Amino acid sequence: MGASILIVDDHPGFRAQARRLLESEGYLVIGEAGDCTTGLEAARALQPQLALVDVYLPDGDGFDLTSRIALLTDPPTVILISSRDGAEFERCASESGARGFVPKAELSREAIEGVLQ
Amino acid sequence: MRSLRRALFALGALGFVAGAVPLALALEYEGGHQRELIAVCGPLTGWAFIGTGIFAWLRRPENSLGALMTAIGFAACLASLRVATEPWIFVTGLLVITLQWALLYHMLLAFPTGTLGTRFERLLVLTSYVSAALVHPVSMLFQDTSRMGFPENPLLISAEPDLVSTVSRGRFWVGLFLIAALAVILVRRWRGAPTVRSQTMLAALLSGGVVMLLLAAWYVAILAHWDPVLIERLEEARIVALALVPFAFLAGVLRGRVAGAAAISELVARLGEPEGRRRGLRDALADTLADPSLELAYWLPERNEYVDAAGRPVALPTAESGRICTPVESRGEPLAAIIHDPSLQAHRELVRAVGAAASLTLENERLDAELRANVEELRASRARLVESGDAARRRIERDLHDGAQQRLVSLALSLRLLQSRLAEDPGAAAELEDARKELEQALEELRELARGIHPSVLSDRGLDAVLEGLAHRAPLPVELEATPGERLPGNVESTAYFVVSEALTNVAKYADATHARVRVMRENGRVLVEVADDGVGGANPAQGTGLRGLLDRVAAVDGKLEVDSQPGHGTTVRATIPCG
Repeated sequence: MGASILIVDDHPGFRAQARRLLESEGYLVIGEAGDCTTGLEAARALQPQLALVDVYLPDGDGFDLTSRIALLTDPPTVILISSRDGAEFERCASESGARGFVPKAELSREAIEGVLQ
Repeated sequence: MRSLRRALFALGALGFVAGAVPLALALEYEGGHQRELIAVCGPLTGWAFIGTGIFAWLRRPENSLGALMTAIGFAACLASLRVATEPWIFVTGLLVITLQWALLYHMLLAFPTGTLGTRFERLLVLTSYVSAALVHPVSMLFQDTSRMGFPENPLLISAEPDLVSTVSRGRFWVGLFLIAALAVILVRRWRGAPTVRSQTMLAALLSGGVVMLLLAAWYVAILAHWDPVLIERLEEARIVALALVPFAFLAGVLRGRVAGAAAISELVARLGEPEGRRRGLRDALADTLADPSLELAYWLPERNEYVDAAGRPVALPTAESGRICTPVESRGEPLAAIIHDPSLQAHRELVRAVGAAASLTLENERLDAELRANVEELRASRARLVESGDAARRRIERDLHDGAQQRLVSLALSLRLLQSRLAEDPGAAAELEDARKELEQALEELRELARGIHPSVLSDRGLDAVLEGLAHRAPLPVELEATPGERLPGNVESTAYFVVSEALTNVAKYADATHARVRVMRENGRVLVEVADDGVGGANPAQGTGLRGLLDRVAAVDGKLEVDSQPGHGTTVRATIPCG
């Protein structure tokens, strides 16, 4: 059985597709959220093992959300995702406490495990 | 205005008659009190005061000095009735005798504006009128004039010499105090007045002051029981001195004209000298009119507005603002406006003359102001263009991200899903893998393109984050020596970003450097951006569109760009951007 995952992204189309892909690769997607507020709430309520957090969210950004998630008790590991260039925000990502970064188009079990190693 | 003129002419005719009355009475009553003096000084004082007063009244109806002078003239004529030996005429003159001094006191205290500036001044004038027009006439009811060798007093109720003496002594003490206060106020006012005005004021103040001093000396002489002959002489001297006041007033006006003309020719000479021109027209006019607060506004007909010397729009003062505006015209068209202190209101003709004398220089200054206004407008429109360009780039980046990028991402994920389902068909899976790689390449190129249009991290996370990204992506080691550590205004951030980005691109392309360093610091209201390398140097902003574009970009936010690039000594690009 794969890890439980929360997807935080403001594009519902992407969330649906990512869910299908990740579930086909053996993960358990236990929740989706479209912005920082509901993302933080879901992370607290559902206690996933992994959270995929989009860098750009309508009510804030993924770095802030990641640092707030890190303050929860027993927080999930956060991987930032974006369709933008990851090199641009490497420092912000590491400062926020995220484990790593995966470009959205390259999302796969392989890429997630690469970051987690 | 016309009715005022008619009324004043009628008053003048009445004044002419009034001035003739003392002369007629003096001729009629041999042995009358101060007969010779009144015969000569009576008409002189009356006519001169009334004539000068009506002239001043016509010229400046808003200034009360004209009315006050006219009133002094009539009061002096009435006071001359004391020359008569007929009791009723005599006592009328005696009743009014103090009024002329109170009126003169009022006039001097209101000089030169015609208004009493403070409550204290109004109180002084009120006291002097009460003493002259109330206390003195009431005490006359108890004064037996026949005992002093004068005609008898028909108003006499009961002879009370002690009471009259006590009241008179009280009035004289009060009078001494009033005159002392007047002296202090007038000396201060005269010393505070600008040169042009103080010359006009001097003659009138001196002549009026002499009358007041003689009155004070007369009070002292009576209070101290000096020799009656001396007291008599002091009174005569005062009557003569009063007759001279209107002439001194006229002389002052004429002298003021001369002083004004001198000030204008000095101004013209000064504007002709290089030193005078260097110090500027405003200062020259401010000195000439002795108003340090003076300002100039230039009329720009094409814009239909007034601007200052720097070309910035100026609103002319309104009536409530306490400032006065005198327009200057040239060939019937508005040229400029002189905005000045209300104390110059009484000298508006001088202000106008000064403006006319300076009109050539004003025309030149107006051209300068117009040029500056145009430059300012160009500068603002260039900054707006850059800003709207930035906004458009941000929008395009956002559209790419939300549109094409999202669809391609979605396509990549679909392909990956298909790939896992086609595991049993190796040929199809391999083809799908090729398609997916192709798609990733396209996405990478699109990301690159989007970042080139506008780095989204700049608007979202600021300069620190975006500089980190730039340093990271550069093909040579880049040391970030300093970053602002705070968010800066949007146009400053994007300009600083473009400077660093363009400079690092140049380093990678041309400098053949092993190392570059970047500093972005905020200090003293500006942001310093510096990119230095250890390459071959020899960069020239005049050639190559990259540096040229940076120069324009930095200039659009009022910044300055310097390129220091000696051949063999590396290149330093330094931009200074204002940041309040």
